[in-house]
Amino acid sequence: MTAVAVDRGLAEPGRGWLLACLYPAVVALVALFLAYPIVELLARAVFADDRLSFAPLARVLGEPYNRQAIYNTLVLGLTVAVLGTILATLYAYAMTRVEMPGKRVWHFLALLPTISPPILMALSLILLYGRRGLVTHELLGLQTTILYGYWGLVAAQTLSYFPFAYLLLLNLFRGLDASLEEAAGTMGAHPGKVLTTVSLPLLVPGLAGACVLLFGYSFADLGNPLLLGGDFPVLSSQIYLAIIGQYDIPRGAALAVILLVPAALLFFFQKHLAARTAHASVGGRGSVRHPQVRHPGARVAALIVCGGVSLVILMQYATVLAGATTRLFGINNELTLRHFTAALTSSRNALVDTIGLGVAASIVSAVVGVLIAYFVARTRAFGRGALDFTANLPLAIPGTVIGLGFALAFNHRPLLLTGTAFIIVIAFSMRALPYAIRSGIATLQQLHPSLDEASTNLGATREQTLWRVLLPLVRPAIIAGMIFTFTRSVTTLSAVIFVVSPHWSLVTPTILSQMDRGDLGEAAALSVILVVLVLAVIHGVPRFIGRDWREQA
Amino acid sequence: MDATAAKTLEIIGLSKTYPMPGGRSVPAVRDFTLDVAPGEFVTLLGPSGCGKTTVLRTLAGLEAPDAGEILLDGRSITRLPAHRRRIGLVFQNYALFPHMTVFENVAYSLRIRKAGEDAVRDEVPAALKAVGMEALGVRLPGQLSGGQQQRVALARALVMKPDLLLFDEPLSNLDAKLRVQVRGELRRLQKRLGTTAIYVTHDQDEAMSLSDRIAVMNAGQVEQVGMPHEIYMRPASLFVAGFVGQVNALPGRVTGHAGREATVEVLGRSFKVPADASPPPDVLVLVRPEAIRLADASASALGGVVEDLEYRGDRIEYRIRIGDALLVAVEPALGRRGRVAPGDHVGLELFTDALHLLPAAKNAAA
Repeated sequence: MTAVAVDRGLAEPGRGWLLACLYPAVVALVALFLAYPIVELLARAVFADDRLSFAPLARVLGEPYNRQAIYNTLVLGLTVAVLGTILATLYAYAMTRVEMPGKRVWHFLALLPTISPPILMALSLILLYGRRGLVTHELLGLQTTILYGYWGLVAAQTLSYFPFAYLLLLNLFRGLDASLEEAAGTMGAHPGKVLTTVSLPLLVPGLAGACVLLFGYSFADLGNPLLLGGDFPVLSSQIYLAIIGQYDIPRGAALAVILLVPAALLFFFQKHLAARTAHASVGGRGSVRHPQVRHPGARVAALIVCGGVSLVILMQYATVLAGATTRLFGINNELTLRHFTAALTSSRNALVDTIGLGVAASIVSAVVGVLIAYFVARTRAFGRGALDFTANLPLAIPGTVIGLGFALAFNHRPLLLTGTAFIIVIAFSMRALPYAIRSGIATLQQLHPSLDEASTNLGATREQTLWRVLLPLVRPAIIAGMIFTFTRSVTTLSAVIFVVSPHWSLVTPTILSQMDRGDLGEAAALSVILVVLVLAVIHGVPRFIGRDWREQA
Repeated sequence: MDATAAKTLEIIGLSKTYPMPGGRSVPAVRDFTLDVAPGEFVTLLGPSGCGKTTVLRTLAGLEAPDAGEILLDGRSITRLPAHRRRIGLVFQNYALFPHMTVFENVAYSLRIRKAGEDAVRDEVPAALKAVGMEALGVRLPGQLSGGQQQRVALARALVMKPDLLLFDEPLSNLDAKLRVQVRGELRRLQKRLGTTAIYVTHDQDEAMSLSDRIAVMNAGQVEQVGMPHEIYMRPASLFVAGFVGQVNALPGRVTGHAGREATVEVLGRSFKVPADASPPPDVLVLVRPEAIRLADASASALGGVVEDLEYRGDRIEYRIRIGDALLVAVEPALGRRGRVAPGDHVGLELFTDALHLLPAAKNAAA
């Protein structure tokens, strides 16, 4: 696949004036709602008393407690990245290379966490292993707080985020040229040797990508550190406490900048590594039908990995479901629907608002994403490189940081948006924009520019070409992007925690506050409702109009 | 590189069916049987989807057959996994490891089999030298041309001194000129090493020029096994005749048979044609275009009208109408272009030695 750009400027005389007008509008949108909040955040961190000053940063770095948080963040991120990548690699290998029953079930269960709010893991872990947890307190009679801290966070984040790495590696394992592995086999390498001498070396960029991805998710996670952090402070929870607890904005901004730097560095390092080590496919077309390992030992091992991990995930969800349907989980196990009733009455507004704003955000990100993809892949518009870069920044920047940027940038004139639905929709859609752009560009690049040329040759304007030729072909990618945006939006916590308001409440912050209050039953019921809702959208919508977004690379 | 003791290969009753979505299944290979002598070069020739690649992959151990046996030197390898077989396979896309240098690619099988670094130092350069690539050992595959990648792939298969060499359309990604050059080298190298070889292709030219014997396959089954000239001159079916070249198939009637000759009536005339067994009365007479010679209309007993002609540089192809039949004839273009034009009446002479009879019943002209 080669990147092809149609060699023409945007504004041709008499042609394409609508797109020529939309381009500055899209640029302005991205500048205002992505570049500006990040600049505003940076400014808050390096300005004091209206002067350039590194005092806020120095003050934050001077506190041992914060240095501990930085250290903890890095250690936690590293652990989750390594553990998660190993788990994801084993899982993806088993799913793509080992003959094993139940693959559809293992796949479905492994992907459940990708569509759940990450605090769901914290909730189930607390129910099972917390101070009054079913396993720790009721069954073992322990008075332990081991869950609250490093180990609890490692467990919650690895379970929540390894599926994203699994998806990445699954597609890479599937995409490897099968004849390379077959060639190794004919030369005497048994399947294990094939993996270590051929498949894994070829997947090094992907493994690095998986590590960086997990690092990023761990950095950005706010819900788990708030609920399970205990005396293990990390940067995201410290930002939250600085802003919400102490209302110390310079301190929060400085901490956010400190969180931003390693996340962004890692992201660009990984992009650089991937570009340098990507092996261009050699020779002609390869096959994608991979040899399946039938060795009994390997099959048993694969079943243990996939079945075991699936079982753990299933147990978390079963626990939340049990928590939602019993009076007081582990103590009074009488079945009841009152948590659901409570959730549906007291949190009705949160549910309705979340769905409505999520749908709105998915439309915004689809429209803007397709336009940017078109400008980047199909035109030579001035500044499209910078536009692409800026629009993709949310990949590199933790959600907490972007969310704080939004809160700081739009809580004063001239753009006083705090408390409106608009700022929530923008936060949702900007967060998902890189994914919408990426899938749009990938699809457009597979469509040869001769399609555009043929359409122009037949007398169509640029708008007509985009509308009648390109859009129908890109439609599956758009729909997949919309489902993705919706899912991300309704399950995120970090990106919206700073922009929610009494007027517009959302589900994930509501779950957080319910857990804070100790209403674990209601929190569990609301989580169950959210997961069922997202599952219905993910499996229901594509049934009518396309494929599961998660299947697409 | 030393020649290893060449092995016999026997494939007995091989069958393989692929399950299709929707519960149906498609037989890829049905009851495939073939004996290959030590050092022999046999080509599986057939259209895409005829099962030739499935046979090859089964030999390599990359597919498990549903039924049948594969014997190498009399010992069954049917159930041996690929990595325990020692069978070299040159892939259509070469399948060079992109993360290893040329040298490391060739050394791979030696290192995997723990042959020791001494063996690597001796044998890898020898294998690279055999294919003329000794100077490029430090390159990565991505830095090589298609022809060079092909040679490395061959060296990589040769270095393990395979019991059997398999080729899966290895020349199909090369341009036409290079293909002719490389296939000559391939043939000489295989003869020098004496390794038994199976080659898969859909290109009859390649099959003709490379092979000791050709097995023509169609719809998962062998249509005919024979030496190249047997396949071309004495095809067992109309399919074989048409697959290895152009052919005129004319309905004829056998009126007499004596010794190794039959008298057959075709195009309203009587010819004496070579025939081994006693042919049935209704036959198809196969006439290759080059077995027809154009002559003066007045001097020949058989005549027709030229409908059109195609100039091909080294030869001219004529389409000639004789009654209901339309014949293709080919003559070398020896500066005689323009001798005959569409609409001209021409005489025709057939080289009766080159005619071949097929029973009409089994070969209804398709």
